[in-house]
This record gives sequence, structure tokens and C-alpha cells, in this order.
Amino acid sequence: MGASLQEKSVWVQTLGLVVGLGGYFAVAGRMLASGVRVPWAYVPLFVVSVVFMVVILIAGLIVAALTSRDEAADERDRLISWRAEHDSGWLLATGVLAAMTALVAGVAPILVAHLLLLSLFLSQLLSFLLRILYYRRGI
Amino acid sequence: MPIGGLEIRNRIRKLRFECGEMTQQELADRVGVSRQTVNAIEGGKYSPSLEVAYRIARVFERSIESVFEFVESNPAPG
Repeated sequence: MGASLQEKSVWVQTLGLVVGLGGYFAVAGRMLASGVRVPWAYVPLFVVSVVFMVVILIAGLIVAALTSRDEAADERDRLISWRAEHDSGWLLATGVLAAMTALVAGVAPILVAHLLLLSLFLSQLLSFLLRILYYRRGI
Repeated sequence: MPIGGLEIRNRIRKLRFECGEMTQQELADRVGVSRQTVNAIEGGKYSPSLEVAYRIARVFERSIESVFEFVESNPAPG
């Protein structure tokens, strides 16, 4: 079964997220482990990661649009999106609670900020992976 | 997908064949969904809304019951 434009766009967003923010965490994780605690040290890395992500999204969505019929999202696309958001939201909530706890416990703000960003990244990644699963397996 | 021991089956493939081998894309265009959604409905991977089910039945000029049927997939004992 060939993928629809909506499904292809989910694949592209997943790729962009993994390469962009995944790459950021691969490097930032090493920086954090080596003791870099200055927030400004992470800004250039973050900007480059976001640019990478945007470039992948633009290129991928152009390719997806050129190789698919121009179709708006239908009820199945919307249901899949809603269910994936519903099933992945707990991860972000857990990350926010963990970050609040870390803040109260006096953990360095740069670590708390990364914990929040990581939970956002993982929650979004889980949402995309669930959408792909629901497209493939059925819902 | 079975819902609480009930499974929705359909005769869309057979009806498409009877309608001059209508393609999934033709049906999708007339119903207003993607071809992939028609494929998912036909293969039992997605249960459509009542509105889409009615639209599909209308394309084939059939009643909704003659296109879709509830089947008890796991009947309760006794």
C-alpha cells in the first residue's frame, strides 16, 4: 500500500526531528557530561540543529508533495493524529514534572532546561512513531 | 479492527468489482477521503465514521447495512 501525502509528511517530520534534535542531544549530552554549564555554549549548536531540521523538513515535504496526490487530511488522518498525541502526551507531562522536581532540588538550570527539551523531543518522537504505527497496522 | 467482540466487515471490494471494477481511487474521490483510507477500510484496518460509511453506501446505491455488517467475532459462552 503506497503511503499518502499525510503519512509521508509524518516520515519526513520524524527524520527531521531525529537528525535535528537527535543530533543536538548527541553532542549536547557529551558537553553536559564533560561539565559545560554555560547556557550560551549550547546556543550555536541548537541554532545549527534547528536549521538542519528545517532544511530536512522543507526538502522532504517538497519531495513528498511531488510524489503524492494533493489530498487534504481526512478523518482517518485526524483520528490517527489525535490518538498518537493522546498516547504520547504522558511523556511530556512526566518530563515537566521531573524538571520541576529537579528545579526544587537545586539541579543546575542548564540541566533542567535540557530535561524539558528532551521530554519535548521524546514526546514528539513517540507521537510520530505511533502515527506511523497506526498508519501501517491500522487503527 | 474488532470493537469489544464485534467486528465490522464490509463488501466494498465486491461492490467495486460489480460497479465496473471501480478503482479505490475513484471511490475515494467520490467519497472525499484518500485512497489509502479506502484501502484501510476495505482491509478492515479502519472503521469509518457513520458519515463516510453512508457516503460509500450512496456511491454503490445500496443501504448501509448491505455494505457494512457487524459480526460477533468472539461470541460470549452460554
